[in-house]
Amino acid sequence: MSKLLASALAALAIALPDAGQAQVKIGFINSITGPEAPIGENLTNGVDLAVEDLRKKGVNVTVVRQDDTGKPQVAMSAMEQLATGDEVAVVVGPYTSASSNAVAKLAQQYKVPQIVPAAAKEEITRQGYTYVYRLNAPAHQYAQSLIDAALAFGKPRSIAFVYESTDFGTSVTAAGKAYAKAKGLRIVADETYQKGAPDYRSTLTKIKAAGPDLVFMVSYVADAILLMRQSREVGLKPQAFLGGGAGFDTAQFESERDISTHVFSVTQWTPESSPASQEFERRYRARFGKKPTYHAACAYVATLVAGETAAKAGGDRRKIQAALGSGRWSGILGDVKFETYEGFTNQNKLVMPVIQYQGGRSVTVFPPAVVKAKPVYPFPGWR
Amino acid sequence: MNRRPPPVLRPRGVAALELVLFAAAVIALWCVPVFVKKPYVLHMGVILFLAVIQGQAWNVVGGYAGQYSVGHAAYFGVGAYTTMMLLELHHIAPWWGLGAAIANGVLLSLIIGTITFRLRGPYFVLASISMAEILRYAFLYYKDLTRGAEGFLLSEIPTLHLFGQEFEFVTKRPFYFVTLGLAAITIVANHLVQHSKLGYYFQAIREDQDAASSLGIGLTLYKSVALAISAAFTALSGGIYAMFVKFIAPDLVFGIDVSVQFVLICIIGGIGTIYGPVIGAMVLVPLSEVLRNPRGLVQVGLASPDSSFVQFVEAHLSNAHLLVYGVLVVVVILFAPDGVLGLLRRAGARLRRRREAQGEAGAAGA
Amino acid sequence: MVAFAQSVPGAVLILGGGVPALAGTELGPRMMVFLQSVLSGVLVGGVYALIGIGLTMIFGVMRVTNFAHGELVMLGMYLTWGLFHWLRLDPFLSIVLVAPALFLWGAFLQRAFVNRVLDALPQNQILLTIGLGLVMSNGVMLAFTSDYRILTTSYSSASYDLAGISVSKPLLYAFLVTVAITVLLYGFLLRTDTGQAIRATAQDREAAQLMGINVRWTSMLAFGIGAALAGAAGALISPTYYIFPQVGSAFTLKAFVIVVLGGMGSVVGATLGGVIIGLTESLAAVYIAGGLKDLVVFVLFLALLVFKPSGLLGKTRA
Repeated sequence: MSKLLASALAALAIALPDAGQAQVKIGFINSITGPEAPIGENLTNGVDLAVEDLRKKGVNVTVVRQDDTGKPQVAMSAMEQLATGDEVAVVVGPYTSASSNAVAKLAQQYKVPQIVPAAAKEEITRQGYTYVYRLNAPAHQYAQSLIDAALAFGKPRSIAFVYESTDFGTSVTAAGKAYAKAKGLRIVADETYQKGAPDYRSTLTKIKAAGPDLVFMVSYVADAILLMRQSREVGLKPQAFLGGGAGFDTAQFESERDISTHVFSVTQWTPESSPASQEFERRYRARFGKKPTYHAACAYVATLVAGETAAKAGGDRRKIQAALGSGRWSGILGDVKFETYEGFTNQNKLVMPVIQYQGGRSVTVFPPAVVKAKPVYPFPGWR
Repeated sequence: MNRRPPPVLRPRGVAALELVLFAAAVIALWCVPVFVKKPYVLHMGVILFLAVIQGQAWNVVGGYAGQYSVGHAAYFGVGAYTTMMLLELHHIAPWWGLGAAIANGVLLSLIIGTITFRLRGPYFVLASISMAEILRYAFLYYKDLTRGAEGFLLSEIPTLHLFGQEFEFVTKRPFYFVTLGLAAITIVANHLVQHSKLGYYFQAIREDQDAASSLGIGLTLYKSVALAISAAFTALSGGIYAMFVKFIAPDLVFGIDVSVQFVLICIIGGIGTIYGPVIGAMVLVPLSEVLRNPRGLVQVGLASPDSSFVQFVEAHLSNAHLLVYGVLVVVVILFAPDGVLGLLRRAGARLRRRREAQGEAGAAGA
Repeated sequence: MVAFAQSVPGAVLILGGGVPALAGTELGPRMMVFLQSVLSGVLVGGVYALIGIGLTMIFGVMRVTNFAHGELVMLGMYLTWGLFHWLRLDPFLSIVLVAPALFLWGAFLQRAFVNRVLDALPQNQILLTIGLGLVMSNGVMLAFTSDYRILTTSYSSASYDLAGISVSKPLLYAFLVTVAITVLLYGFLLRTDTGQAIRATAQDREAAQLMGINVRWTSMLAFGIGAALAGAAGALISPTYYIFPQVGSAFTLKAFVIVVLGGMGSVVGATLGGVIIGLTESLAAVYIAGGLKDLVVFVLFLALLVFKPSGLLGKTRA
């Protein structure tokens, strides 16, 4: 065990040059409670592992945690508190798109570097904010990877969208609709829902009647599970169910085998992607007793980057900002570099793999370069 | 407040004293930012003053005219969205936007009043809630107009040029002064309404609608006037809230908890009185803000970051700060239906009686 | 004035009418969508009816509008979730424990709080129950955080196929239990002395008192039964819903719409109202838009309040 650990650390050491003894204060805003809490838990775990690694490397980090309960206004007051009260050097988070986008504005205003680990909303890094850095891939890549995958596996001609009317849902769906049109797919349904009253039977019946080849869903955990349950109830049977990350890539969803089997989801990271990632998965499972999701991996890397950079810059926010802009890291997410391209500012380029749930676990099925298993396509029907 | 007036003053002098005390309180609060720079204190001040405005506004229709609207979030939300959308979509500065917010609030109150004022008792309450809920769902659904659940994030408030001076709305300071000034104006306005003919009509309607009607008081007209005044101030507070918090979404500004909060400010302080909403706000706001963010106390220096109080509150209570509202309202309704002000008055009266009794005893002894 | 259970067979007929014998017929896709949404609407409406009946009983007997009713449903859901999570008790079986527990809780609330404001202004009664609701939802939030919780049973996503129309198993079970509870309740109200006492108190509190009915006890009983029904509804709906501390407020509002629709105080009216609201929501989601179904319900409600405030079955306003 310790040997494995050492090798993982060695892998990291290449990426993160030794910083010596240093004390840094990192702010971490996350959905610790609330509707997104099951996902937030993964981020917290990722941050905890990163803190361990940083301490081992001699970086003495203190993490000031703030719970935004998934609400942007709470995230904003948390950010104000971190920026003016706790005087943190850098902020990691928040989780949701809505919160991250709101906090980004304040990060720029208070000149506090912010590393967004897993929020998809396109605009977060498209507003020219020089203090906001995003590790994960933005919304349009969710849609592109999924639709490209479906087009590679079969010949779908029509698509239906069901999504939560939040920043995340609308952002991914807007990109999805544009890409579907560009690829010649007919959009036969476009249904949004509000979270809080999960009776989607009527909506799903309507979609079933429209008979789409693809059903594209964007949701957080609870709704992802209930949407799929009710899809099974009403007997919705397209060629493929496409889940837009978030709730569709969680341990909870995976464990609901009746409804998760053969569902596709897009993801930022898979445990199969590299030896370092496999080691991360082993360590994570040993510690928390469950599979790490991409949220955990992203939060882990974001915290490592934040801690290392802050330590080197002696906690100075300006210097951290400069170092984040010019730095390069590599680790379980591959190479990390915050770049400015195609209207994005400080955006890490990441290829999003597509996974499918087969036999109770997720396997990578797309793109060809990282494939680990053959996809089951079309959807064979409900068990 | 319950200090006895000096014997030289006649009843008119009492009013003058009240005025002096009121002015002194406003001036003292005006000077606070000179000595206290902590953003947390100013933040608390702004939220407090907004609560005073909201409480006073609700008081006009709920307290004086006796129409228990539990749907005031409708006006608050419309005020917030009007100001925010004018600024974000049409680049109209909030000082104009707030005027539009008030206009929209009044307009909405006329529509809602027409529909709901023919109902009484629980039916009126339910109808007022329904109106706010309809607006909430409409704002959530019509995304092309309102951006739905995503809401609006404020980009930047332009600099105000007034009397050759520049006012920047970046920190909490300007909001502190604006809301303090408006709260003072609202209190004065409420005082004027209460002591005007209008105020007497309102109270007649509250005491007995049918009797008021038989006296020739137009029920619908005066209820509508009360609601319009109330809606105007509520919409104003909504607009300022949007500018201050910098983010609005349908659930945040149209939610039923917003409406309930307005009512509770009055109930807890003392319904149908001028200073009831002030006291209600002074009780509710600090309590819920401290529970919501106990680190603020650390910032002010009232608690250390590792004190067990802060850690306990943060771990357990920060997400349930509305619990305080619940407990307070239950206690107030059961034990002090006149609110905190009623309790103070009763305590004051008892004290006075005792003193008088003692004074008489002393005089008899001499 | 207060139309309590009078036409039991009629109500059951309405409830039973949702599952028509369709087997063996060929249906077009449009008809299919229509029937499917009618069916889902009626099944969900049955559970709504249970919530509405509880509220209407409380109003009928005490003339108190209980704004904490949805929170009682929420407590029922959490209790069910807890029993399932820790004791692996099936949600439908847990009603046997949840309903009595909520009965006791309701009786306690009535005795300790509501009873003290029976003669107060209706506004103060409303505020008291709003306060109690806030205490319950935030108390649960303290204990369980605001996380969304889901119950996973073996039949969570199972369904029967009825000539191409799917009938959700958990919803169908919930509906059947609802019907059973409703029939039992009607029987209790019509056939037993206690039931008659409740009805008499609902009709005229003072007259009932003069006739020797223990009104205090009857009120406690009615509030307890109302709470038990809300709790039962919470248990029934939890296999197909998710559970979080604020879930109650939506049910409170829905329950009011149902009760006003049926005429305040009328049990038959509430049964009918529940099914109508379930149907309205379901059809609005298909034919108008999913995001507008609640809005449609409230518009309907307001229109009814303004044009026929006594409710669909009522004669005069209370």
